[in-house]
Amino acid sequence: MTEILRRDPRKEWIARNRLHPEHERVLFELGQGTAVATEWMGPNGVIRKNPHGLGFIGPNGIKRIDRSGVQQAPTAGRGAGHSTTTADDRRHVEIEAPAFLVAVVPDMPGGRLSSHDRDLLGLARQLADADSERQGAVLAVVFGSHKEDGFGEAGVDRLLHLDEEVFDGYTPETRLAALSAIERELAPYYWLLPDSKLGGADLGRRLAARIQERPATGVWQIEMDDTCELGWRCTARGAAGTTDIQRALPRVALALSECAEPVSETRHAAQPMALSQALPSQLGRIEDLGQVAVDPAGVALAEAEFILSAGNGVKDWDGFHHAAKVLGATEGASRVAVDDGFMPRHRQVGATGTWVTARVYLAVGISGAIQHLQGIQSCEKVIAVNLDPGCDMIKRADLAVIGDSAKVLAALVDLVAQQREEKRDAA
Amino acid sequence: MQPEAQAPDAQARGALEVAVLVSIGRHPLTGRARRADQDARGVELAMSLDKSRITLVHAGVLDEESEGALRGYLGMGFQALTLVEQPPGADVIPALASALSEAKPQLVITGERAEQGEGSGLLPYLLAERLGWPMVSGLANVEKVENGVATLLQALPRGQRRRLQVRLPAIVTVDGAASAARQSAYGPARRGEMRLAEAPAVFDEASNDWTVQAARKRPKRLKIVKAASARDRFKAAAAKAEGGGGQVLSDVTPEQGAEAIYKLLKEEAVLR
Amino acid sequence: MLETLLPILIFSALGLAVIGAWRRIRLWRQGRPSPVPILKGLAAMPRRYLVDLHHVVGRDKVMSNTHVATAGGFVLAAVLMILVHGLGLAQGVLGWALLVASAIMFVGSLFVARRRRNPPARLSKGPWMRLPKSLMAFSLSVFLITLPTVGVLPADFGSWILAVALAAVVTWGLGEMFFGMTWGGPMKHAFAGALHLAFHRRAERFGGGRSTGLKALNLDDPKVSLGVETPSDFTWNQLLGFDACVQCGRCEAVCPAFAAGQPLNPKKLIQDMVVGMTGGSDANYAGSPYPDKPVGEHHGDPHGPIVAREGKALVDAETLWSCTTCRACVEECPMMIEHVDAIVDMRRFLTLEHGNTPNKGAEVLDNLIATDNPGGFEPGSRMHWAADLNLPVMRDVKQADVLLWLGDGAFDMRNQRTLRALIKVLRGAGVDFAVLGNEERDSGDVARRLGDEATFQSLAKRNIATLSQYRFQRIVTCDPHSFHVLKNEYGELGGNYEVFHHSTYIAELYEAGRLHFAPWKGGKVTYHDPCYLGRYNGEYEAPRNVLRALGIEVAEMARSGFRSRCCGGGGGAPITDIPGKQRIPDMRMNDVKETGAELVAVGCPQCTAMLEGVVDATAEIRDIAELVADALVPESEARAQPTGEARIAIKEVAS
Repeated sequence: MTEILRRDPRKEWIARNRLHPEHERVLFELGQGTAVATEWMGPNGVIRKNPHGLGFIGPNGIKRIDRSGVQQAPTAGRGAGHSTTTADDRRHVEIEAPAFLVAVVPDMPGGRLSSHDRDLLGLARQLADADSERQGAVLAVVFGSHKEDGFGEAGVDRLLHLDEEVFDGYTPETRLAALSAIERELAPYYWLLPDSKLGGADLGRRLAARIQERPATGVWQIEMDDTCELGWRCTARGAAGTTDIQRALPRVALALSECAEPVSETRHAAQPMALSQALPSQLGRIEDLGQVAVDPAGVALAEAEFILSAGNGVKDWDGFHHAAKVLGATEGASRVAVDDGFMPRHRQVGATGTWVTARVYLAVGISGAIQHLQGIQSCEKVIAVNLDPGCDMIKRADLAVIGDSAKVLAALVDLVAQQREEKRDAA
Repeated sequence: MQPEAQAPDAQARGALEVAVLVSIGRHPLTGRARRADQDARGVELAMSLDKSRITLVHAGVLDEESEGALRGYLGMGFQALTLVEQPPGADVIPALASALSEAKPQLVITGERAEQGEGSGLLPYLLAERLGWPMVSGLANVEKVENGVATLLQALPRGQRRRLQVRLPAIVTVDGAASAARQSAYGPARRGEMRLAEAPAVFDEASNDWTVQAARKRPKRLKIVKAASARDRFKAAAAKAEGGGGQVLSDVTPEQGAEAIYKLLKEEAVLR
Repeated sequence: MLETLLPILIFSALGLAVIGAWRRIRLWRQGRPSPVPILKGLAAMPRRYLVDLHHVVGRDKVMSNTHVATAGGFVLAAVLMILVHGLGLAQGVLGWALLVASAIMFVGSLFVARRRRNPPARLSKGPWMRLPKSLMAFSLSVFLITLPTVGVLPADFGSWILAVALAAVVTWGLGEMFFGMTWGGPMKHAFAGALHLAFHRRAERFGGGRSTGLKALNLDDPKVSLGVETPSDFTWNQLLGFDACVQCGRCEAVCPAFAAGQPLNPKKLIQDMVVGMTGGSDANYAGSPYPDKPVGEHHGDPHGPIVAREGKALVDAETLWSCTTCRACVEECPMMIEHVDAIVDMRRFLTLEHGNTPNKGAEVLDNLIATDNPGGFEPGSRMHWAADLNLPVMRDVKQADVLLWLGDGAFDMRNQRTLRALIKVLRGAGVDFAVLGNEERDSGDVARRLGDEATFQSLAKRNIATLSQYRFQRIVTCDPHSFHVLKNEYGELGGNYEVFHHSTYIAELYEAGRLHFAPWKGGKVTYHDPCYLGRYNGEYEAPRNVLRALGIEVAEMARSGFRSRCCGGGGGAPITDIPGKQRIPDMRMNDVKETGAELVAVGCPQCTAMLEGVVDATAEIRDIAELVADALVPESEARAQPTGEARIAIKEVAS
């Protein structure tokens, strides 16, 4: 929508002219309703109100009065010059001399704070701000280059950015050496890491083993408890998520996502910090040879992110395989397609085949037997292409296209190829 | 860091010595003792290695329930399993560390975490720290072992893999993406031998103060709406969850349909 | 000349036959011991042959008569020939009798020859093609040489050339009939078959009995081998049974896996066992091979593995896993060979020792061990489907007339509809019933057919322990697999119950006047016999009686009753899932289509699931319980409009 406010002098004139036959309609169109006439100066200098002029007729034909001001907003906006930017009302917090440090090592996947990281920072804030007399500061330790500029909003008081090449890739030993150095120099009161696979879960356990602290893992809740040594009690998942262990919060904690609310009401300084001593150089025993190019077609169904799945309705199998290749999707199939010999058995999706967890599941010509739908219940987005608008797969789908699957796939392939072409030309 | 505990000279002798640490699993629904899923995958991984000599090691209690579970590992085709007997409630790390430093395997494989007890997943890290060996987590496969260096494939989310090299001896843990364990056969399981080994028991004192109960369902996070007016807050709280039937495009040309699909694929960023 | 030559020929043939018999018996004795009453068995053999075996053979009238003529003629001729020509007792009637016997045999052999002119695909060729000629050679030459003996022709009739020619033909005939009988010719079936009948491992099958339950392994004794690894791991009478095969291919013709193009042919499997027993390759096999598996690539020996861990041995594992244990081959076999027992014995070894149950097999077995049901569902959720039904649970009521065994269908949304219908019927009839609820476990059927005897026994023993806590008259179940296991296989482990399939029980309730039905208004209906109800337990009539009571005239499929074609769901076949050229349930739905029925009545959750999985089916699939529940009218209404007609109808078939 355009931001420029257009005026229509004719309509304004009609709005002023109460005797104009279109007066009411135009008033309504302008969003004023009868509001103009609800309040006026009477002949005796007294303010007169017309209570009947308030409100608007709701969809059920009942008059509604909305006192929140939302309905009036267009009117107000018209006068005040349209949109208002909401003022940043977050409290700015700066902690000059913290009583202690809560060290957080966020995962930073893709160079940004993940929601898990933000939750963890929220948890760190709880620990830091618990005692207003003795306020602590949240220290974020970030490895490698990043693209995040919202550390302050996420609740970071101090930012220790170790931007050296040695931290690129999978370098747990180097990172551990850095954390040990921080432990020695800054001695944080708490260490918080996300209990996330290959991120904090790995590093946090290494750290705990190194500094000989018994960590709490899988923490999802903390409560104040004076009987505990550090004043906090935590609830952690144990036994592969089947038990809850209540224990005193130790110095090192690995927390699950949603362990706390992310910071939203305050802004923090995110003051950069550096270690006084250079990190000792490290002889790595683990060498990262880089990510392996994985052919999406070879990815196991259970792990695949994007599945293009074929059913009984697919007739053009060459086209289907071609589409899977162009889209970079892992191929799946319904039971019938497998039984008919068009697809191998290990590509069968469903309760009797493989249960899949794809982010996007594109089902082509699959009507959606109950077993099949069971197998895709944890897929985030399901797209269906089918000729039959009444089939169960369409009911399940987030987006359904009714039509000939071969044609739709071909069109999609053309579209993707064309977009790639354009991108290449632009680059 | 600490100097390596031992030089990797064993590969000269030919066979690769592999120890797999196995634990008693617990079925997530019935709580029955079983082969722990990841440990069993670890055993499978060890069996897939060329020219390896595999020792299965368990530290813990020997009773009827645990024996059944341990025999599950034997049923994968082993003659014996080393059982370091420990009383209930013991900290098994010292016992395992001494067993491993005695046996001197080149490669120690284990699951990421136990299916019962604390299940913190710390054991491989503590063992690595104690023995001074490198430790790599979340493996999908071991590609090869040559000249005391193992080439590993680490499982990343969504079927992605990362190739790593690590100097042996090392401890590695196995991810759920590693190939599934083979069936445990009744015959070898019944015949397999439990070789008992002694180790001093160190009790885990700290865990006495913990209260353990069945996992509660975690509360679903509510969308907190910071709104000025009560009306907005009410609206947010009473809002129906999104969803409830997707978009259905009928009577569209294939191109329009493809356009809509393309848009969604773009939004979900699955197109590369 | 012939007078001197004949006794020598006869007795040397007999002598060779005896040596051959001894060698053959040694081959059988390689098998494991199995106690059978030797004398009692031998004494029972003629009756078993003449009655039970001919009951099976008699399903094909022409072949039956042919066999009676040929075999009867031969036995008679052989005995008389020894007397007349061997011992020279040619006086009087014996010679004439020999003439008649050889003439009968010759007529029979003409029919055999006619059959061999254009033999159906199921028959083995090779040496079997020369059999009619051998039969004719024997019968004709015996006839001719007897003619001078009885004085129809002069003793010195013909020249010496004729005599030599005749002697040669007699030698051929004697060679095939006596020598070949014990040295491995086609006539081997007569010798091995007779002894097989005498020492059959399931003596209960004779005299109209039924024995279909698998035999338990003794797991307490660590020395007992877990299933069959090598041919010599079979019991000796199983080996004897394999040797009795006549390669008639009736099993092949009815095998659903073979028809679906899966790599199984029961006849070839039995012949492979014979090859394994004697040692060698299957190159000489002259019948249809396993689909897509050329003959001559497999070989075995008595102490070598049947299934190799890698590569090829005697049989490929997928051959064994193709079997649906439908028992059609056993039902059809004129020699009463037990194919299914052999297959399960070999599967046991694959599962218990190799740990090599294919595809989803391992997962299903793990689920059974961990959760007591094949789907891996939470055992505590077994009764969730019936949350609103307020079912009486045995733990609360302790006793009831009927214990309703739900089976694992309780976890399956489709079968829950059947169960609901069945409960409506039981309540409609005012039956005092209760369920085990969450105490029920899988019956162990699938585990056992997949060869996991250990898991089967563990489940069975725990189920028996649970059942022993409660008092009930009978068990009723809508799952024929549970029905069979509870009825026929728990006995060996100490659980003996009176078990009813729901169709039998409903038929009984109806006859007792406790159920009243509204007349049928639907279209044409056919009925699919579940293998585990029909062939395993002989219940063909009760389901049909129930349908008749509902006013349904069943349009029978070409293959129904004891010849019913399997749905493909038995024996863990959907779990092991061996690929073929087509699917077994698709073939079955084609059978349904041929009748033109709009609805198939079934009585088994497996069949329901398999047949409903057929794409573009022409008929709807309903369980009998559902049909009954839909037609149910309360007694008060039933009295107002008597349905006497239907009641008479069922009386007729019941009598």
